[in-house]
Amino acid sequence: MHIPDGYLSPATCAVLYASAAPFWYVALGRLKRLLTTRLIPLLSVFAAFSFVVMMFNLPLPGGTTGHAVGVSIASIVLGPWASILAISIALFIQAVFFGDGGITAFGANCFNMAVAGSLVAYFTYRAISGKCAIVSRRRVIAAGVAGYLAINVAALLTGIELGIQPMLFRDASGAPLYAPYPLKIAVPAMMAGHLTIAGLAELILSAGLVAWLQRSHPSLLSATAPGAARTGAEAGGFGWQAIRPLLAGLAVLMLITPLGILAVGSAWGEWSPHDLGGSTSRQQIAAVSANHALPAGVPQGLERLSNIWTAPFPSYAPPFLRSASFGYLLSAAFGSGLILLAALVANRVFAAPRRSG
Amino acid sequence: MRANRVIEGSIHGFLRVLERTLESEELARRAGLLQSLDPRVKLLGFLGLIVAAAASRRLEIIGAIFGFATVLAICSRVPLGTLMIRVWAGAFAFTGLIAAPALFLTPGRPIGRLPGLGWALTAQGLRGATYLISRVETTATLSILLVLCTPWTHVLKALRVLRVPIVLVVILGMTYRYILLMIGTAGEMFESRRSRMVGKLEAKDARRLAIATAGVLLSKTMQLSGDVYLAMQSRGFRGEVYVLDEFEMRRRDWSWLALFLALGSAALWMGR
Amino acid sequence: MDGALENMPLRTPVFELEDVSYSYESVAALETVSLAIPAGQRVALLGANGSGKSTLLRLLDGLALAVSGTVLFCGDPLTEERFQDETFSFDFRLRVGLVFQNPEVQLFNPTVFDELAFGPLQLRWPRDRIRQRVAQTLDELDIGHLKDRPPHRLSGGEKKRVAIASVLILDPQVLLLDEPTAALDPRSQSQTIDLLAGWKNTGRTVVTATHDLDSVEEIADYCFVFHGGRLVAQGAPAAVLGDDDLLRRTGLLHVHRHAHAPGEVHSHPHRHHDHPA
Repeated sequence: MHIPDGYLSPATCAVLYASAAPFWYVALGRLKRLLTTRLIPLLSVFAAFSFVVMMFNLPLPGGTTGHAVGVSIASIVLGPWASILAISIALFIQAVFFGDGGITAFGANCFNMAVAGSLVAYFTYRAISGKCAIVSRRRVIAAGVAGYLAINVAALLTGIELGIQPMLFRDASGAPLYAPYPLKIAVPAMMAGHLTIAGLAELILSAGLVAWLQRSHPSLLSATAPGAARTGAEAGGFGWQAIRPLLAGLAVLMLITPLGILAVGSAWGEWSPHDLGGSTSRQQIAAVSANHALPAGVPQGLERLSNIWTAPFPSYAPPFLRSASFGYLLSAAFGSGLILLAALVANRVFAAPRRSG
Repeated sequence: MRANRVIEGSIHGFLRVLERTLESEELARRAGLLQSLDPRVKLLGFLGLIVAAAASRRLEIIGAIFGFATVLAICSRVPLGTLMIRVWAGAFAFTGLIAAPALFLTPGRPIGRLPGLGWALTAQGLRGATYLISRVETTATLSILLVLCTPWTHVLKALRVLRVPIVLVVILGMTYRYILLMIGTAGEMFESRRSRMVGKLEAKDARRLAIATAGVLLSKTMQLSGDVYLAMQSRGFRGEVYVLDEFEMRRRDWSWLALFLALGSAALWMGR
Repeated sequence: MDGALENMPLRTPVFELEDVSYSYESVAALETVSLAIPAGQRVALLGANGSGKSTLLRLLDGLALAVSGTVLFCGDPLTEERFQDETFSFDFRLRVGLVFQNPEVQLFNPTVFDELAFGPLQLRWPRDRIRQRVAQTLDELDIGHLKDRPPHRLSGGEKKRVAIASVLILDPQVLLLDEPTAALDPRSQSQTIDLLAGWKNTGRTVVTATHDLDSVEEIADYCFVFHGGRLVAQGAPAAVLGDDDLLRRTGLLHVHRHAHAPGEVHSHPHRHHDHPA
C-alpha cells in the first residue's frame, strides 16, 4: 500500500500533504500538552516497534503470508493521535531510508495509513468494544474488525487516489502522465489484495496482540478503555463515550441507505432541468402535484444556476461504481465521514484545552 | 514449509535493514563528491530534482535528471552495481509488472498487436508506461543517493532547514536507534525458534510465534520507553530539545546548492 | 549556570533517608530504610537482585519519589514540587549523575558524540564549551575513535564506557552507579573497576550498587547490605565481607557442587568469583 514516487501527480501529492498536515500539527500539539516529557521516548520507541512489526511475515489462512501495518494496535494501545504520529514516523523512515514509499507521495501514504487508518481503527474498536471489561473476548473481536476495516479503508483511499490520475492528468497525446489505471480498475485491484491478504494480516496482528496483552499486560489496554477500568486520562482520547450509541446508530443507518434505491422518481421540489424537460417526467411531476400546471419548459433561472456546480458523486452514484447500492453506501460513508471530520476539527478548535493529570 | 516462511521471511526482512544500514555507513565515509557536500545542500537540491522529475511532462527531461543522478553517483564512488541491485533492477521489475497491462488497456492509437492473444498495444499505453517507469527509477535513484552518501543523523539534522520541528528530528533519531535494537531482539527470538525446530512448523504454531514475538517486543517497547524517559530526565531533560550540529556552509556548498536549484528550476520549467 | 555552583562544596551528609518506603505496582521494593551518606565517601550498596538497590538509586537521583518517609539531598527534601523549580532541577542534575545498569537505555542518541553532548545541551551550556568538553571527555575515557559510531555498533565494554562518559561529562560531585560491572567481559570489568578505584580521595561521592563482592574493597570505603527491600547491615567492607553468615542470608554467597582438583567433587559456600578456572 505504500505509494512510490511517480504514481501521483504533484498536485495530488500537494493536496494530500495539505490533508495530512493538520492532523500532524494537531496531534503534536495535543500530545505535547498531555505527555510533555514522555512524548519523545514514547513516540520514538513505539514508532520503532511498528516499523519492526511491519516486517513480520504473518501466516494467513490458505497458506499465504502477509504484512501488517500495525496502525490498529498502535491506536488501541496509544490512542489515535499518538498512533497518527508514530505510524507517520515509521513511514518516514521507511520512505527515506529504505525507499518503501515515495517522498513526494509521503503525504498521501501518511494520510491513507497513518491518519485514516488510525481514526478508523480507533473508532471501530471503541464502537464495538464499548464499556466491556478489558479482558473480555469482545475486545479481541473489536481489535480484529478495527484492523481489517482500517487497512481496507486505507486501501480504498489509495485506489481512489491512483484511479483519478489518468482522468485528470494526461499529456498532449492523451497518454496518462502518472498512474495509468482508471478508477474502475485501480479500486478493485487495490481492494482485492487488501480485502484478502493485507487486511487479514492486520486483523490477525491486532486481535492476536490484544489477546496476548489481555493475558500478560492488561494495563496497556486501559488507555482506550475508559469505561472498563479507570486509570486516569487517556492519552489523546476523544471522550466519545456519550456519542458511542449514536455512532452505532449512524452505522446502522448507513448500512440501510441502499433502501433509497427503491424509491421511484425524484423527491418533490428537487427537480433538475432534465426532469422539467422530459415529457414523461413532467407527467409524473404533475401527477404528484395535485395536477397543477407546470411552467412551460425549464425556468431560465433554474437553467442558469444549475450549471454552476457539478457534484462529484451525482445522484449518490460515483461514476466508477456499477452497483447502485454500493454507491449509496459509499456516499453515505463518505458524507458521514466528512461531517465527523468537520466535527473533530471544530472540537479541536473551539474546545477548551484539557489539563494534563 | 510454507509456514516456515514466517520465520525465514521475517529474518530476511531484518537482515535487509541491517545490510542497508551497514552499506550506507560505509558509502557515506568514502571520499566522493556528494559525501563532501553539506547535508542541507543535498537535501534541498535533491528534493528540487525529485519534484522536477515527478512533475515533468517531457520524457527527455526525466531522462536528463536520471543521467545527472547517475553521474553524481559515479563521482561519489557509489558502485553502479550497487545501484543496479538496490534500485534499478527491482524498481524496473516491480513497476514493469504493474505497468504492463496498461500497455494494452490504455485507449488510444494502436501501434502493434500481441502475437497470439491479439491485444492491441497503444502508443498512449507505451508512453504512459514509460512515464511511470522513468519517474520511479529517477526519483528512487535520487533518494537512495541522498541516503547512501550522507550519514543518517545528518539527514535528520538537515531536516530543520525545511522547518521540521526539532522535537520530530529528535524523535526520528531515537526511532532509528531503537529500530536497530528491536530488530536484534526480534531476530534473536525468531532465530532461537528456528534452531529448535524439528520438521515443519504448523501454521497455528507459526501464528503463535509471530504474535508472541510481537507481544514480547511490544512489552519491551513500553518498558524501554519508561526507562529511556528516566534516563533522559536523569541528564537534565525537561521537555525542551536541543541538537548540536556541526554544519557550516562553505563557498563550495553554496555553489553546488545554486547549481542544484538552477537545474531543478530549469527542469521544472522545461518539463511543464 | 556554569562554573560557580559546580565548585561549591556539598553539605554533608549528602544523602539522608528517613524511614523511606517505596512500592511499585503493589510490590514493596523498599521498606523503612534509614541511612546517611557523608559527602566525599565511596559507598557500596550490596544485595542480591531484587533486594531494592536499583530502586534506592532511583530515589537518590530523584527519578522516583518515596511513597513514605523523606529523602534529603544536602538537607533538602526531594519532592515533585522541588523539581518543578528549574534552577533547583538544573543544579541537581549537574551535581548528581546516575549510570544505569542497562546501557541500551542510557544510549538513546544516534551517535556517541550526540550522547555525550546531550547532558550539557539540556543544561544549556554554550556550544563551544560543549564541543570542548566532549572532546576532553572522549579523551579521558579513551573512546575518541568511537565519536561518530552509532550505539548498535559498540561492544558491551564500549557501551559501558560511553554510558559512564555521558554522565562524567558534567563532572558531577555525586556519582551513582547501578551494577557497573554486570554483563561485561573480564577485561572491561577490570577497566571499570580501575576507574571507580581511581576516585578514592577525590572528594567525589560515589554510590555503587553491586553484587560483585570481589571488587567491593577497591571501590568502596563503606557498605550497606540489603535484603528483601530492607537495610540489614552496614559497616566497613572488611567487616561485612568477613561475615559469611550475613552474606549467605542475603544471597550474596552461594553453594553448589564443584571441584578444586579433578576427581574431587564437593560443595561449600563461596563467592561466585572464587570459582576455580
